[in-house]
Amino acid sequence: MFELFVAMVKEEWRIHSTMFGTLSFALFPVMIFGIACMGSFLIPLVQMTLPPGYLTLSIHGSYLMLGIMVGGFGLLGNEVMNRRFGQASLLAYSARSLPLKETFIFLNFVIKDTVYYFFLWVLPFGFGYIIASPFIGVPLTDSLLLLLTLTFSFLFGLCTVFLLSAVYARSKEVLWLLLIAAGFGIVVHAVLSGTNPVLFFPPLLLNSSFSWMNFTLSSVLLLLLFGVATALFNPESVGSTKRYTDAFTPLLKCLSSLPTPSLAAKDILDLRRSGGLIGQTIFSFFLPLLVIWFFLSLLDPIFPPHGLLFLTAIITGVIASTMYTWVTMFDTFGSYACLPVAVSTLITSKITTFGLLQVIPVIFIASIAVLSGETAYIFPAAILAISVSFYAAGVMVWLSGLSPGVLVYDVKVLFTYLILVGIALTLFTGLAFANPYYAFFALSLAIPAWFFIQRAKVRWDAVDPGGF
Amino acid sequence: MSPVIETTDLVKQYGDVCAVDQITLSVEKGSLFGLLGPNGSGKTTMIKMLTGQTKPTAGTAMVLGFDVVADPINVRRQVGIIPEQETPPSFLTAREYLAFVGAIRKIPDIGAKADRWFDLLDFADKRDILCKDLSRGTRQKLMFAQAFIHEPELALIDEPLINFDPIMQDLVKEYLVDYVRKGKTIFLSTHILEVAEEICSEFAILHKGRLLHTGRVAELSENGGDLPSFFLSLVRKGSHV
Repeated sequence: MFELFVAMVKEEWRIHSTMFGTLSFALFPVMIFGIACMGSFLIPLVQMTLPPGYLTLSIHGSYLMLGIMVGGFGLLGNEVMNRRFGQASLLAYSARSLPLKETFIFLNFVIKDTVYYFFLWVLPFGFGYIIASPFIGVPLTDSLLLLLTLTFSFLFGLCTVFLLSAVYARSKEVLWLLLIAAGFGIVVHAVLSGTNPVLFFPPLLLNSSFSWMNFTLSSVLLLLLFGVATALFNPESVGSTKRYTDAFTPLLKCLSSLPTPSLAAKDILDLRRSGGLIGQTIFSFFLPLLVIWFFLSLLDPIFPPHGLLFLTAIITGVIASTMYTWVTMFDTFGSYACLPVAVSTLITSKITTFGLLQVIPVIFIASIAVLSGETAYIFPAAILAISVSFYAAGVMVWLSGLSPGVLVYDVKVLFTYLILVGIALTLFTGLAFANPYYAFFALSLAIPAWFFIQRAKVRWDAVDPGGF
Repeated sequence: MSPVIETTDLVKQYGDVCAVDQITLSVEKGSLFGLLGPNGSGKTTMIKMLTGQTKPTAGTAMVLGFDVVADPINVRRQVGIIPEQETPPSFLTAREYLAFVGAIRKIPDIGAKADRWFDLLDFADKRDILCKDLSRGTRQKLMFAQAFIHEPELALIDEPLINFDPIMQDLVKEYLVDYVRKGKTIFLSTHILEVAEEICSEFAILHKGRLLHTGRVAELSENGGDLPSFFLSLVRKGSHV
């Protein structure tokens, strides 16, 4: 077990470090550490405006979401390994050549992901806070406890998605039943008890009042989620002979008014047949956003009127921009090597498909507006979400071309992305908070978005395709 | 005869490794040209450069009159390519993939043409199965079909027979020879020397990125030699040097 685990960690490290250079990738956790350490010095200022406990709540929410997104990326359906690794021959495939069970490899894969991303994301953040804590008057035990509970938050997100994706791979109907039952239970409990169910999130409970009993209960719950997910894991099915009628030709006709109908039709079929469209929408979009909405709703009293809706709209825009990674994860430029297709044409097609998918965030933000009794602001909120989404996707395309899923771990790419997107988010959050109808100004983001996409086409056409 | 492929001092460097080292080569129209060499000799890199999949570090290459660096899309529009490792997209069926290729290459009447290829390569019963569920050999058939479905003037094929059974190998060899008889050109890379000797009219031998020899297969047999022996003696000598 240990040999396979170590080899998988080395493999993951080499995938990333080969792409960005060892130093550049090694700097990624250093940057997270730096941001956390410097950000910690702002805590006394933030606490002057935020009620006690709200900051802790937000950070735990963020790490829960991080776990959900790390777990959700690629771990869907029977295409688990193919989707994540493409045609690469990696250790995840070793059941085909070594005397190892698929479930055993999956267990190693899950533990590897946990440990790897703990050192990449969770530990640097916690350590940054620990280093800063003596200077901001926080006892060391409190910062150590935060590291522990943030780890638990991350793991809860990760293994919940592992479990749900394992259920999804076995039966979509059971997954829907499970989600409906869970949603119904949460709503009923919230209505009956009058408290936000987020407050019962185990890592938050543990953080607010540490006890060995709470610690043991959280750990057992996590192990249970991991154990059930592993037991339910359904190995990739090989050699299916299911037949499909030609869906490409009718879709091509349907999309004929788009710039690259054939490529867009292929992308849509990729998403639909891989289970990615439903799976990603649930695990990488609705689930994280609902969690964020729940957490943000606790902060509602400190927001200006309608602030919750517009902040949710902006976050929806940012998460919707990651749909660009959904449409780029099925193929590399190499898949088109035998066809007269330029990288810039592929970028156009991926953006086209991305544009079609934007109906999902519109539906989401409209539903949130209706649920929160702010139907009058559906239009500005939707405009804000979509404008932010296109802008952030434009930045992503410019920075990472057709490989956003991997280049995000290049420290230079991530830093530039955070700066460019952060400035826009701050500006338009401020405007929407000042007046909900100022959200319409976000339409102006279309200009830099268009500019970034045009620059991306020139930039990535000039790069040697063999280097992708 | 005018050359359809012309390279001058073509170089491809990957870091410290020189995959292709100053290759100057000319391939005439209507030939079945075999690029031969042991594993790692630079054959695949040559095909990648000639089809605009990777850019040369130095030198020039013209394919059907187009510069592979300045105009790679026009090169790929004119030629047919079977890359060494690439497989068809996972979530399209074989029929849909050929329709996809037809849409990109703007091939009229693609449905009928695709059906002819399914019959020719004997995989009509697999046309509605997703590419990811096809066997390696059937995927290779599909890649073969996509390379020739638009009847290009020039086809560049990397290891064309490697996944085929003996019956299919025979059929494909026959197809390639017939194709060249129609005045078209085939540029194939292989390390199966018997295949090259059987079907190629001209050949070049690469070793460690360098061009060791170019010539006509007929000349070898006229001089009482054979391609496998000639290749082995040359490459062993090259390794020794």
